[in-house]
Amino acid sequence: MGDKGEKGSSDLVLDLYSNLIKEIWEVVSALIGEAILTFLFILAIRKLEEKYSFLNSLKVSEEGVSLERVREDCRTVAPVEIHRGFQSLVNHLSHLFSALAEGVINKELFPKVFPKFKEAERIISQK
Amino acid sequence: MRLIFKNLNVLRSTINAISTSIEIKEIFASAGNNLPNLFDFSSFGIFWKEDLLLFLFQEDSCPPPFTQEVVKNMLKVFSTLGGESFEADRIPLQIEKRKLRPKQMMMDPKATLKSHLTLPLTVEGEILGCISLNNDQPNAFDVQDLQFLSVIGYQMAATLKHFQRFSSIKNISIYDPLTGLYNRRYIEEKLGGEAQKSFHRRTPLSLVMVDIDHFKKVNDTLGHTEGDQALCKISSLLKNSVRKKDTVARYGGEEFILILPETFLEESFVIAERIRRLVENTSFEVGKAQVNLTVSMGISNFPSHRAKSKEELIRMADQALYDAKRGGRNKVCVFTEKSAQWTIPI
Repeated sequence: MGDKGEKGSSDLVLDLYSNLIKEIWEVVSALIGEAILTFLFILAIRKLEEKYSFLNSLKVSEEGVSLERVREDCRTVAPVEIHRGFQSLVNHLSHLFSALAEGVINKELFPKVFPKFKEAERIISQK
Repeated sequence: MRLIFKNLNVLRSTINAISTSIEIKEIFASAGNNLPNLFDFSSFGIFWKEDLLLFLFQEDSCPPPFTQEVVKNMLKVFSTLGGESFEADRIPLQIEKRKLRPKQMMMDPKATLKSHLTLPLTVEGEILGCISLNNDQPNAFDVQDLQFLSVIGYQMAATLKHFQRFSSIKNISIYDPLTGLYNRRYIEEKLGGEAQKSFHRRTPLSLVMVDIDHFKKVNDTLGHTEGDQALCKISSLLKNSVRKKDTVARYGGEEFILILPETFLEESFVIAERIRRLVENTSFEVGKAQVNLTVSMGISNFPSHRAKSKEELIRMADQALYDAKRGGRNKVCVFTEKSAQWTIPI
């Protein structure tokens, strides 16, 4: 039962971050282009891959980010760990955006990202 | 709406100018000419990692501390993006200043960097450098500036990558991969040009063919890796023994060729003889062994030998080299009609 419940919330967290990443991709690629954004995503994943190895399963290309393999690889990963991994990824991306363009990108992104972080935390705490 | 169209037109012509540039300086010049019509900035920079160059296009009144801040920030962002870390004082700066602002809006001598947009120049996941718009006013840039700069950056990166590929293809096609000297294809083309110039202007031109004596023995006794090392050592000795205007190439195997423009026969003999003695007196470290080598050389010259084409010059130098070999090696021989007659079968 516990295992089933854990899987359920893992999927919920992954769904949430899948949407969030899709949204980040749409907003930011319109500002800096797909090539640079792909580069930044790969850079951020490389930075965090040691701590959150499941992030390695993200497939990043100029067409976008796919979480398909992450879903398979995360079957045994705790939802809170998934949340932390993606939260770190988004935070690191945000740090890179700020290094490049100070507040210009984050100002566009923040209203969309913040509520989803809160939502993820809510799902985790309900578990 | 009209402003957006105007900006899009400027953006279009900027991109067009960048994509048709044939060198990095031209990219920089076209950016410098067009960007003030698109953005309000104090300084625009391009950092190109391969040549370790940083171009800055700046407002005339830009104070030096502001420039230093811009450079430091660009290098910091570059390193944050996974590029190498560079010390600001190691990067040669090329600064072009222009009046971008009216007199009453000149920059304060104590102005500091208050806002910037810096984007990586990336192609296929590789970071080649970065571009940066900088201002001494806070919040100087908006979303549209970022969008336009990213389009410009994308085009710049693609064009710069194209230059990089072109230059590596060019290198492959003209250099000998083992010795780093010019290859036979290049030297024949070069000799064609030099010969034409000499025949036309009636200026002297000498050609020297060089061959390492008994080179097969080096390969047979020490091995081919050591043989290659010996070729490299001789190559650098040749390269360091000629003048700036001369050209050295590997003609094939253990054979080399020297083009000595504006050089009379007597002068070329002195140069060749000096090289021959230098090789003879040098002990080459090859692998773990010390090897003594000698070279034979043959010289042809215009106008002394009345050659009418580059092919004839090569044939004459080759003939003289043959004489040097036949005469006992470790010698410099000059082409003579007599030796030519001697070898041409009747």
